[in-house]
Amino acid sequence: MFGLVEFNSTFIFQIVNALVIFLVLRHFLFKPVTEMMEKRTKSIEDSFKEAELKTKKSEELKAEYEAKLNEIKEEKNKMIEDATRRAQNRSDEIIAAAQEEADRLAEKARAEIEREKQKMMNELKGEISQLAIGAAEKIIEKDIDENTHKQLIDNFIDKAGETQWQN
Amino acid sequence: MTEGFGPKIVGEIAGIYISETVVVTWIIMAVFTILAIAVTRNFDKIPTGVQNVVEMLVDAMNKFTAQTMGEDKKGFAPYMGTLFLFLLVANLIGLLGLRPPTADVNTTFALSVLTFVMTIGFGIKSKGIVKYIKSFFEPLPFLVPLNILGELANPISLSFRLFGNIVGGVIIMSLVYGGLATLSGALGLESIPIFQAVIPVALHAYFDVFAGILQSFIFVMLSMVFISGAMD
Repeated sequence: MFGLVEFNSTFIFQIVNALVIFLVLRHFLFKPVTEMMEKRTKSIEDSFKEAELKTKKSEELKAEYEAKLNEIKEEKNKMIEDATRRAQNRSDEIIAAAQEEADRLAEKARAEIEREKQKMMNELKGEISQLAIGAAEKIIEKDIDENTHKQLIDNFIDKAGETQWQN
Repeated sequence: MTEGFGPKIVGEIAGIYISETVVVTWIIMAVFTILAIAVTRNFDKIPTGVQNVVEMLVDAMNKFTAQTMGEDKKGFAPYMGTLFLFLLVANLIGLLGLRPPTADVNTTFALSVLTFVMTIGFGIKSKGIVKYIKSFFEPLPFLVPLNILGELANPISLSFRLFGNIVGGVIIMSLVYGGLATLSGALGLESIPIFQAVIPVALHAYFDVFAGILQSFIFVMLSMVFISGAMD
């Protein structure tokens, strides 16, 4: 038995023992456990950061899409407006063309009528002059040179009867 | 009993005596090693069961070290944690009927010498040799002998505080058990010392549990303070 307070070989043993158990526990307990906890902390932090990043990104994307959507809406409105305006223009054009065509036709009809009237009048004049010559022949009993006098009478009728016939 | 309260010699290897203290220390070391390997082998990222307890323990040691020594000296946590766990189990092992290794001045002095060496070593490493020596001349140069004496007193007081507390408990407990056995014998119950059954519980609670835990804490705390004090 050793004495109660006696320094002996146990001292050396205990120093070695303390160092050994320190190295063993550091290697098998403290290091792995601390590393594990730090890794976990880091992974939790990372996942939080990632989530934050993703939220931010999604918000950015949302804003972008909304802007795009607005752009599209604007463009659509513009297109509709454009189309409406074009259609309006086209319809105006068509109406104008139709109007013009109608005017032209009316004009043409009027001219035709005018021409027809002129023609009829000329014919009438011819007949009248014939009648007049016939009547005059009978009255003066004298053969008038038809061709010479027809010209004369026509001229007369033209001057005298134009306005009257017109009315 | 009449031979004294020193640790028994249980064996001899190549002329070196192996004391009870060393054998119990080896038992504690073996248990620690097996537990540490067994417990950390199935460690997972998501903690369950035992892992929670172990993590709490390690985390508590890390935080305690960081708090006492400063965040920059967190690296001492494994040593201080080992020291605390070893002292705790060594002091409490008296409850299992084994002789606490800390009831041997060789154990406590070995540990306090390690603290002393670390104090000097890390002090020099942190401050540089010149500044470290200079610190002995402060606050006044003629206080050098006192400073040196104070430095040398640390490991001695550290080791004998723990040793005294534990060995005192061991001596008192063995006296109490002896007395109770004699008392039982007086009633004619030598083979069944009935008085040893309940009466020592309160004494065990004080000398082994209370003093044991408190002294472990004090030893570790003072080691931390000495080392970080020398470094700052």
